[in-house]
Amino acid sequence: MDGKNANPTILNASDLPTRRQAQQKKVTSPLTCGLVPAYAQDPFVGNNVEFSDPDESQDDSVVEPIDEQEIYDLIATISDPEHPLTLGELAVVQLQHIRVTDDPSEIISNVLVELTPTINHCSLATVIGLGVRVRLEQALPPRFRLDVRIREGTHATGQQVNKQLNDKERVASALENETLMGVVGKMLETCK
Amino acid sequence: MLSPRLYILNVAKDPTEANRISKESAKQIQDKELKLLDLVQSLGEYLTDDDKTTRAKAIGYLSSVLGYLDPKALSRQQVAVIAQFLCDRLEDETGLRETSQGLFALQKSSRFGREEATLVSSAICKVDLQKHPQGTRFAVLTLIDSLMANRRDVLKAMGGKFVTGFTELVGGEKDPRNLMIVFSLVKVILVEFDIVPHIEILFDAVYCYFPITFKPPPDDPYGITAQDLKLRLRECIASTKYFAGHTFPQLIEKLDSTSLSVKKDVLQTITACALSYGPQTISTHSTQLWDAVKFEVLNSTEEDELATEALLAIRAIAETLSFGLKFSAPTASPLARYLSGIVKECLKLLQEPQQKQAKPAGNILSKSATASTVAHLFIVEKTMPALLLIHGDADSLAKQRALMEILNMLFQSSLQTFGAWGDSTSEQVHSNPFTEYIDKLFEMYSQALMGSLREEVSLRITALKGLVLLCTTRRLFQENEIGMVVQYFDQVLLEVEEKEEIKELALQGLKDISKIKPNLIMDITFPAFMAQLPDSEKEADPSKPYTATLEALAKLSSGRAVFQVLLTRLLNKLDIVLREKSGPMYPRAILSTLLYVLQKQPESNQEDIKAYFARLVVPLLTKTIIPMVDNTSEFEDFRIMANDSILDVTGRLFNIIIRSLEFEEQINVSRQLINIFVLGIPSEYIPRTHAEIVARDFKPLQQTANKEQSGCTILLTYALAGLRREVVLAALSTPELIQQNVELATRTARSTQRMAHLYLIALLANKWMKKPGDSELLQKITADLLESVSSSILASREYDNLVGQKLQTVLWITKAIVVRGDKYGTEVTEKVVTLLGDKNYGPIASKGFVVLLGDDEFITKSNYAIIRPLTKQKIFTFCVPKIVEGFRTADSTTKPNYLVALSNILRNMPPAVILPELGRLLPLLLQSLDLPDPNVKSATIETLLITVTESADAMKEHISSLSARLLNACTNREENPPRIRSAALRCLKVFPRALRTDLLLPYKRQVIRSLVTALDDPKRNVRKEAVDCRARWYSLDEPED
Repeated sequence: MDGKNANPTILNASDLPTRRQAQQKKVTSPLTCGLVPAYAQDPFVGNNVEFSDPDESQDDSVVEPIDEQEIYDLIATISDPEHPLTLGELAVVQLQHIRVTDDPSEIISNVLVELTPTINHCSLATVIGLGVRVRLEQALPPRFRLDVRIREGTHATGQQVNKQLNDKERVASALENETLMGVVGKMLETCK
Repeated sequence: MLSPRLYILNVAKDPTEANRISKESAKQIQDKELKLLDLVQSLGEYLTDDDKTTRAKAIGYLSSVLGYLDPKALSRQQVAVIAQFLCDRLEDETGLRETSQGLFALQKSSRFGREEATLVSSAICKVDLQKHPQGTRFAVLTLIDSLMANRRDVLKAMGGKFVTGFTELVGGEKDPRNLMIVFSLVKVILVEFDIVPHIEILFDAVYCYFPITFKPPPDDPYGITAQDLKLRLRECIASTKYFAGHTFPQLIEKLDSTSLSVKKDVLQTITACALSYGPQTISTHSTQLWDAVKFEVLNSTEEDELATEALLAIRAIAETLSFGLKFSAPTASPLARYLSGIVKECLKLLQEPQQKQAKPAGNILSKSATASTVAHLFIVEKTMPALLLIHGDADSLAKQRALMEILNMLFQSSLQTFGAWGDSTSEQVHSNPFTEYIDKLFEMYSQALMGSLREEVSLRITALKGLVLLCTTRRLFQENEIGMVVQYFDQVLLEVEEKEEIKELALQGLKDISKIKPNLIMDITFPAFMAQLPDSEKEADPSKPYTATLEALAKLSSGRAVFQVLLTRLLNKLDIVLREKSGPMYPRAILSTLLYVLQKQPESNQEDIKAYFARLVVPLLTKTIIPMVDNTSEFEDFRIMANDSILDVTGRLFNIIIRSLEFEEQINVSRQLINIFVLGIPSEYIPRTHAEIVARDFKPLQQTANKEQSGCTILLTYALAGLRREVVLAALSTPELIQQNVELATRTARSTQRMAHLYLIALLANKWMKKPGDSELLQKITADLLESVSSSILASREYDNLVGQKLQTVLWITKAIVVRGDKYGTEVTEKVVTLLGDKNYGPIASKGFVVLLGDDEFITKSNYAIIRPLTKQKIFTFCVPKIVEGFRTADSTTKPNYLVALSNILRNMPPAVILPELGRLLPLLLQSLDLPDPNVKSATIETLLITVTESADAMKEHISSLSARLLNACTNREENPPRIRSAALRCLKVFPRALRTDLLLPYKRQVIRSLVTALDDPKRNVRKEAVDCRARWYSLDEPED
């Protein structure tokens, strides 16, 4: 074996936990829409109705905190470097292996992401970890401290990989390696 | 006999004159004034000329003359002489092109015989063609092409001599236009000639061009594409089975290519060959091909073009091997051997149906199972027991589901093979191989859909899709089984807890079934759904909302018969609901259901819609009006019909039905409605018991009308909207009616009321200014209204609401006449622009542009309104320069009016109109971003979004100021609601793809840094946009040093 898994198990994309579809699927039925007749909208009166809707997503006093699901949605669509599949579909990234501690009273918040490689000698585990790290660094506010690691017992050299992933200097030097960043860039292209 | 000289002199500099000369000579020959042989002789001196071009031109003259001759003009002998003469000339290479053209003309002669054809064909094959330019080669090939068309027997009789001669002649040809001819000639040879002794050289001559990598030059005059060449070459390669031994090994080798288009070409060529080489040939290569092609599928992901092509190749082999097999594939047959290999390999991969290669394996099986009925039987028979076993042993629902996905693929292949119910295919010889497994499958799928937890959405969706396939496949399920499925789908639809996703599919499933078994929907679904509808709002069970039921009914009722049933039942239901003293919600929902179905009717069903006038318009009208004039308790429950939200739907029903009526019918409708609403004359639409009292007491357009009666105006508005403009509104003065409504509109405080009058005014002003003097009276009305505005301004009084209302009315009138190209409309528009500078009425004028340019549902083409093309563009070009100028000179209190007006104009204008003006508008747009009004900001950002993508050039100079403002808009949460923040981020996101990288790089760091604030926005949607936006800016490449 050369550290590749040619025929991994795939999760059905529609079975993956996500918040995104739920948001898109807000359809209003032609029969249930409000009781204000359409013809009664006077362009001269007040703001357009669209701005006075009681949509919670428009109310700034309702704060929507950054949570595990949001982290998952950020990284589940990263592509695997060897399959044209996402980390979510390959179950490399799993919702239950993400932990967010975001306490407004503290200055620093934490995100822990544990990755599950498809086979326990996956040669690309470090690259995948780096990709997840880069994505989160670009997408999260700086008050979050990131901890990306291989889930215990899922990889032969997990310890070693973890050391690499969370060593600031090694990450920084990896980010300057053009070939490596080329691979990471490709992985992030599919991010939605 | 000066002709040859004249021709030679002219042909290069004046081809028209040269043609005239040869035409003239041809005429002289036909008129017997000139002998052809004399003409040939007169060429003598030029044919020995030292100058090559002169010799060529001389032959050109003869060829040109031959071309103008009638096919019957030459005698047998003349043809023979000229043929010999021209063939001799072939030795003089300078005139090859002209000689070939001459021979081409000559062989059209009716007396061109076998001998001449043989002579010419042998002579032409000896030419050393490839040293000539492509135009000359084209002339020679055209000649051969023509001989092939007209004298194929001669060429065949020449046998190997022609085949080898021709192959040699065209060897090395590279010109695309010539290759098109070569390929089609070779194909004829391959198909019709005795080629067995020459396979090698023919194969080499053809295959050397594979794969075609030609790219047409940008100015290619012949328009030949690589695809044209590929197709023709492919036809050659596929045209003879004798190539098989050479073709397949070579093609398989080329499958290793890294070029996508080469691989695609290879696969398509394999398919073409597999379909044409015949079963015997293919049987010796089938295993070898499968082994080579399968990887293209197994290593693929979804929507992979190569995988699709590879599947077609696999299927093509099975199709050819099925040839001659009528009932089954005996074990020893090539088809059985081929498919057994496939089945074995695929089943191995399907043991773990969730793994990556399982789905491709399923694809291979189902695709092969569509190759022929016999192939279908074989595959289903050989795979089903194993697949059911895998399903039985599956230890998780996800695994079961993955396996059922594979089964669904096979069902799909069955549907394709056996057709759907009602397909007019011939009698079925075979019974469906799935018949044997029906009970098992029905149980498995029913259990998965109805017996598993509601949260198992994807499993249940898979089951639902499978059931639809099984139901639709012809003669597979029994009627009672389909009936059960219909019940399942009904249950899914009626259950409020079900997810929208699965409900949509269940509804679609019912629609699919209603196409093949409409009776089941009428007998099972309809009664079940109607029974769900409560008799009153109070009884409504919140867990079974009537809206969902009504919506499902509406979507299932597009067919005429079904809608008839729905109409009767819902009108009955409406009466019951009203009797139960309902609020407006439920009756409105019932009427909306009917409206929905009518709106979804295709254009062709207008006849049907007409029929509903008597059943819907008249009863709804009386139901609405009578309770207003009759206070007896009998009608009391119906008073709710006058609720604005119900009137809205009733009005729309009126509109859509009246629209579809014939002209004569509309005349009567207009008369009756005017009697009822305007004139107070008894109408035949009102039952006799109430006709008089309605005429006396129903006065919706009187100042004194109560709220309910005046609310009914909207019904008249909707009805008039549906009338053709040629329908004369009898016994009425339109200007008077307008004036009456102007007063009503300006005096009411209720916006529903006001809008009903304003739309009525607009309709009248657009469609019914017909009598002489009407237009002048309308102008007078408008002028009076404007006059009150100017006098209020002159008197420099405070803002007066009544005056404001008058100005609004003016804008509606203006809209109505501007769209039909009325000049007075432009005059008023100009006044409106001037009013932007007024501190009191400027804001109204600025919003007025929404009225002028916006779309509404009354003044439309389908309502027979007069709408001239390009009016929007005209207003744009008329107003925008004035607005830009006005803005420049305006003081700070009125400047926003101009910006708001501009944003209202831009919002309603197609981008193509805006773009040319953009340079001028951008400074204003940037200032609009500083206004606090979120509507203006949002409209401006939308405009900028289009601008950045479509007219990046105009943006160049403004990147700095624009990005700064957008960054402010997305990070400054005090002033910008989430919607604006998102829009600003979306706009900023477009920059990196639309503008040149070097223009953006100076801002990259700053943008990325500033967006950090947006990453911590309290709103998730905004954060999402910020992440996407930032990712785009990150991906801007730094220049390489």
